[in-house]
Amino acid sequence: MSPRKRSRRILHHLPLVVWLWLLWVVLWGSLSAVVLVGGLLAALLIVALFPLPSVLPGAVPRPLWIGALLFHLLVDLIRSGTTVAWAAVRHGGRTRSAIMEVPLHIDDDVLITVVAEITTIAPGTVVIEIDRRRRRLYVHTLPVRDQETVDLRKKETQDLERRVARSVGYRHAPPGRGSPIDPSDVPPRDGTPPDHRGERG
Amino acid sequence: MTLLRDVVTAVLFLTGACFCLLGAVGLLRFRDTVSRLHAASKAQTLGLLLILVGAAVNRPLRDAPVLLLVALFQLFNAPITSQIVGRTAYRTHAVDRRRLFSDELADRLARDGTPLREQGGLTPDKEEGKNPDDEDR
Repeated sequence: MSPRKRSRRILHHLPLVVWLWLLWVVLWGSLSAVVLVGGLLAALLIVALFPLPSVLPGAVPRPLWIGALLFHLLVDLIRSGTTVAWAAVRHGGRTRSAIMEVPLHIDDDVLITVVAEITTIAPGTVVIEIDRRRRRLYVHTLPVRDQETVDLRKKETQDLERRVARSVGYRHAPPGRGSPIDPSDVPPRDGTPPDHRGERG
Repeated sequence: MTLLRDVVTAVLFLTGACFCLLGAVGLLRFRDTVSRLHAASKAQTLGLLLILVGAAVNRPLRDAPVLLLVALFQLFNAPITSQIVGRTAYRTHAVDRRRLFSDELADRLARDGTPLREQGGLTPDKEEGKNPDDEDR
């Protein structure tokens, strides 16, 4: 391995080491030398023993957009948290819900995971199925009054997707490489339903 | 200053507790598993966050990182469990279809030639006849 390659590999692992180190120090709750050195050693050991594959090559975190993403999440948490709580009290078991299909534009495991996670954190929406191959989320949403609500929620999820993509500087896949609408309506060859990876057995 | 801090903490604690209570109410009032997930994981997450912020206001600053970690792991982990439970609930017919406005996943599965109903699980008739309240007791 050339020294250049090696240094790049070390650089790639650096954020994880720092994060583990930080976690260690915070959990110990002290800044003594033993904790600091021990934490660094533990972090290095973990990263060396359990190396993770590199994700999102070429991603550039954009702090401003990440801030915007978190701000939106917070606002959403409060706004729809209230909505769901109100629905529980007011309508209870009579609350109507819907399962909607949200086509995504991004084509990356990590980003789709993040979108699904944040969608589930935001009250009123729970992702119940991820079709990885067709890039679709199936989202259970509540409360739903009419088709307009469903369309609105769908748009909100896609806005969220755009914010997530923006926060790491990800560009949408070129439309030529399969737009999210087209390839999916072809029925599968065999009868197996897609599993959580969107693959068929 | 201490008074102001106490008031802020008290307000945050009470609001947080309210949301946790509403989550519990939702858990009781909603009828099917997936709707209950909304109540259990959402209202309660918001409640927990408010309580953590309230605690952070009234504690020395060096406790803040730990509280932040609690919030962070709650936000990371709750959705993962929710999704697994939701997926399983859907696949095992634990979704109350009478309350569904539309179900585009069922449409999709039907278009794929793999409607859920044929793959075992409860038949809709059985589900209709069952009193949803039975599970509560």
